[in-house]
Amino acid sequence: MKLLDILLILLVAAAIPGVINRTRARLAGRKGIRFLQHLYDVRLLLRKGAVYSTTTSPLFRAVPSVYLGAALVAVLFIPVGDLPPVLAFDGDLIAFAYTLALGRTALILGAMDTGSPFEGMGASREALYGALAEPALMLVLGTLALLTGCTSFAEIFAAGNETCHSIVFLLSAFVLLKLVFTESGRVPVDDPRTHLELTMIHEVMCLDYCGVDMAFIKVAGWCKTAALSLLAADAVAATICPRWWLTAPLAVVLTGCSVGIVESTQARNKLVRNTTFILTIAALAALVFFTGYLLQLNIALS
Amino acid sequence: MILFLFLSFVAVVAAIFAAPLRAKAWVSLVLTGTGAAAASAKAVEVLATGRTALLWSFDTPLFGHNSGSMDGLSALLVLIIAIGSVAATLYSRGYLAHHLTTKSPAHVALHYTSLTLMSLAMLAVVCSDGGCSFLFFWELMTIASFLLILFDAERPEVRRAALAYLIMMHVGFVLLIVGFARLGAVCGSASFAALPAYFAQRPVLPLFVVFLAGFGMKAGLFPLHVWLPEAHPAAPSHVSALMSGVMIKTGIYGILRVTAAIPAAQMHTIGYILLGLGAVTGLWGVILAAAQNDVKRLLAYSSIENIGVILLGTGIAVLGKASGNPTVAICGIAGALLHTLNHSFFKSLLFFGAGNILSQTRTTSLDALGGLGRHLPITGLLFLVGTAAICALPPLNGFVSELFIYSGILTGIAERSHTLVAAGALTALALIGGIAVLAFTKLYSTVFLGSPRTHVVAEAEEVDSLRIAAMALPLAGILAVGLFPQYALQIVARAADFFTDAPAETYGLSTVCVAVCRTAWLLVAVIAALAWVRYRLLRQREVRQAPTWGCGFTAPNVRMQYTGESFAEGLQSIARPLTDDSCEGSPVGRNEIIPGAHNYDVRHRDRIGSLFSAWWVETLRVLNGRVMRLRTGKINHYVLFALAFLALIFVLSVFDLL
Repeated sequence: MKLLDILLILLVAAAIPGVINRTRARLAGRKGIRFLQHLYDVRLLLRKGAVYSTTTSPLFRAVPSVYLGAALVAVLFIPVGDLPPVLAFDGDLIAFAYTLALGRTALILGAMDTGSPFEGMGASREALYGALAEPALMLVLGTLALLTGCTSFAEIFAAGNETCHSIVFLLSAFVLLKLVFTESGRVPVDDPRTHLELTMIHEVMCLDYCGVDMAFIKVAGWCKTAALSLLAADAVAATICPRWWLTAPLAVVLTGCSVGIVESTQARNKLVRNTTFILTIAALAALVFFTGYLLQLNIALS
Repeated sequence: MILFLFLSFVAVVAAIFAAPLRAKAWVSLVLTGTGAAAASAKAVEVLATGRTALLWSFDTPLFGHNSGSMDGLSALLVLIIAIGSVAATLYSRGYLAHHLTTKSPAHVALHYTSLTLMSLAMLAVVCSDGGCSFLFFWELMTIASFLLILFDAERPEVRRAALAYLIMMHVGFVLLIVGFARLGAVCGSASFAALPAYFAQRPVLPLFVVFLAGFGMKAGLFPLHVWLPEAHPAAPSHVSALMSGVMIKTGIYGILRVTAAIPAAQMHTIGYILLGLGAVTGLWGVILAAAQNDVKRLLAYSSIENIGVILLGTGIAVLGKASGNPTVAICGIAGALLHTLNHSFFKSLLFFGAGNILSQTRTTSLDALGGLGRHLPITGLLFLVGTAAICALPPLNGFVSELFIYSGILTGIAERSHTLVAAGALTALALIGGIAVLAFTKLYSTVFLGSPRTHVVAEAEEVDSLRIAAMALPLAGILAVGLFPQYALQIVARAADFFTDAPAETYGLSTVCVAVCRTAWLLVAVIAALAWVRYRLLRQREVRQAPTWGCGFTAPNVRMQYTGESFAEGLQSIARPLTDDSCEGSPVGRNEIIPGAHNYDVRHRDRIGSLFSAWWVETLRVLNGRVMRLRTGKINHYVLFALAFLALIFVLSVFDLL
C-alpha cells in the first residue's frame, strides 16, 4: 500500500510537467513536444559532466542533494486518496511544511554562494515570498484540522467525507492550488521559461548549476509541485470519493490544466505585485479558516 | 550559610586574582566547572527521580526564612546554565588571548571573576525559592554581567550600552522587589511557594503584571527589549553568548514560576496576555533581525524573537490548561521548555561563531564580510548548523520544539478550544518561522558565502582548536536533541511537572517524538544517499571550474554581490513602519541615466528603542535637575533631611497610613 502511494506520487510528479506543456501547446494551436520530453531532458542532464564557479564553496555542491532529499522526504507525508502515507504522525502537517522550508533554505544558500548579483536577486525574492506564503499554508492546514478534528494528513482526508463542510474543503483546495503557483514558480508569480530580466526568482537561482545537479533540482521541483497538487486533489476528492484512482488523476489534471491555462492566457505579474498576490492568498486562507470556524460553530449550536 | 557564601566569594576572587595571567582562564574554568558539575549532578538526580531536592534552608536575623530547592524546572535551567557557562568560559580562553597583552592583569582578573560569579549566581538564582536569596543572587547576576559588558570600556558605545543595561535592569529589579515585598506582606513569606495563596485571596492581575515586567526586563519582552541589541554588540562574544543563550532564560524562568501559580479562574486572561506578548515580541524581533546589518545585532534581535516563541508556547499551554485540555497544555509547555534549552544551544554556538568572525576579521559589519566559508571552514560549518537549527529546519533541534508548539496550537484548533486565538498564534508562528529563514539566510550568505568584500576578510585564518572545542559543546546538544528527540522529551516532561499534573508520555508526544526521530534519520539517509549517487555519477565525468555566469556581463566584481541590505530590501519595504531609517549620502537619483559615484549607507533603528530613550532621557534629566537642588553639600542640611524624614514617618504613623 505504502509502496503504491510512493509510486503514484512519483507518477503524478512526472506527469504534471507533461500535461502543462501539452495544455499550453494546444491552447497556442501547436502540436507540442513529446509528453515525456522533460524526462528525456533529465536523462540527458544526468549524463553530463559539470562546471562549477570558482567562487563557490563545497556547500554549493551539497545543495542539490539536500534540496532533492528534502523534497523526496516531504512527498512521503502525502496520502493519495485512501492510501496511507509512509510517514504519518500527529502534527505531520508541520513536518511537511518545514521539510519544504529546508529545501528552500538550501537552494537560497546555494544561490548566494555564487556571489552573482542575479542569483542574489532570485534568492532574496524566494526568501521573501517563501516567508509570506508560510502563513497561508499553515492556515489552510489549520482549517483542515479544524474541520476534521485531526492533525495528521492521513486522518484528515480519511475523515473528510464524514464532515459536511464540502464547501470549505473545496475552498481550501483552491488556496492550495494557488500555493502551487507560488511554490513551483509559475506565472503569474514567476516565469519558468526564462531566467532573464525581471523574472528572476526560481530559475535564476539555479543559473550556475548544470548536469547532475540541475537534474536533481528539476526533479525536486516536480516533487514539490506534486506534493502540493496532491494535497489540493485530496481536499477535493475528500468531498466526493476519497479513493486513490480518483485523487491521482485529479491532481495531474487540476494542476496541469490550471497552470497551462494561466500560463497561456496571463502575463506575469509586475514584481511589486507579487507580494500583494501572496498576501492575498494568505488573506484568502484566513477567510476560509473563518468560514470553516463559523460553519463549525453553527453545527455545534444546532 | 551566609558565612559560607562570603568565604566562597572571597575564595573565587582571591584564586582568580592570584593566578598568573595566562592561567586565570583555567582557574575560572575549574571554578565554574566545579559549580556546574555539582549542580548538574544534582539536576540529573532530580530529573531521574522526579523528586524535589532541598538544597539549603536557614533563618536569617534580618531577612527571615531562606531556602533553596531544586525541582524539575530548576533542574532543566541548571543544565542549561551549566552547559552554557562552561562553554563560554572555555571559549573565553582563546577569545581573550590577544587581549592579555593589552589589558592590565587586574582588568583580566576582574573579567574572569565576574564570569565565574555570574555563572554561579545564575545557578543559585534558579535554585532559590524566592524572597531575599533570590533577589540577592539576581542582583549579583546583574552586576556581574554589567562588569562583563564593560570589558572594552575604552569604547564610548560600550560604556553607554553597559549603563543603559544597568539602569534598565535596576528598574526591573525595583519591580521585582515591589512584587516580592507585596507577596511577603500579604502571605508572610516571599517565596514562590506563597504565590498560589496570594493569588487565591487578592486580585491576580496587578502582581502578575509587576512580576511580568520585572522578569520581562531581563528576558527581553517586547517593549522592554531595547537593552538587548545594544548590550550584545558591546560585550565580548562569549559574554554575549552567555547573556543571550543563558541569562535571559532566568527571566523566562521567573515568568514560568509566576504563571504556574495562577488560579484556574484567571488563566484565560493570563493566557491571552502571554500569547499576545509572545506573538508581538516574536514578530518584532524577527523583522528587526532581518533589517540589521551587524552580525551581533542581528543575533540579539533573534534572541528577542526566540523569547517571543517561548512565551507563545507558554501562552498556548496556559490557555490549554484554562480550557481543561491537557494535551494542549503539555504540548505548549513542553515546546516552550524545549525551546528554552534549544535556544541556549544554538544561540551560544552562533555567538561563538560571531566571536570568531570578529576576532579574525576585526569587524562584524555584514557589508564588509563575505566568502569567509573558505577561510574559516570549521567555523563556517558550525555556523551553518546553528543557522539551520535556529530556522527550525529538520533534522535539528529547533524543529522539534517548534513542532511541539505547533502541535499544541493545532490540537487546540482541532479540539475547538480558543479556535480564533489559536489561528492567530498559528499565523504569527508561521510568519516568524518564514522571516527567520530570510534573516538567517541573509546572515549566513553575506558573511560566509560569495566573495570577500574586503582584503582583511580575504586574509582571515581559522581560529584555535580551543574555541572550536567550546563550540562543539552546544553543537552536540543541537544534534542530540534533533536526532534523538525522545530523550529530550523525557527531560522536558519531568521539568513540566511544575505546570501540569499528568506526565507528557500519556498524551502521545512520545510517539510523535519517535516518529520525528525516524523522519530525521530518514532525511539524513536520503540526503546522504543522493550525495553518494551524485558523487558516483560525477566521478567518471569531466568536472571543470569557471567564473560565475554573469548573464553575458563580462566585468562583474565583488562589489556587485547582493549585500545584506539588498537581500532584505523586499521585507524592509513592507516593514518600514517598524523602523527609524537613518541614511548617509544620497541614493542614485531617478533621473540619472548614467549614475556617477555615490556613497549611500542606510541603518534601520528600532522605532521602540528611539522612542524609549528619547522619553526616558528627557524625563530623567529634568527630574535629576530638580533632585540635585537638595544636594547642597552642607552637613547641617543633610541632618535636617534626616530629621524631616523621621518627622514624616512619625506623622504617617500617627494617621495610621503606614
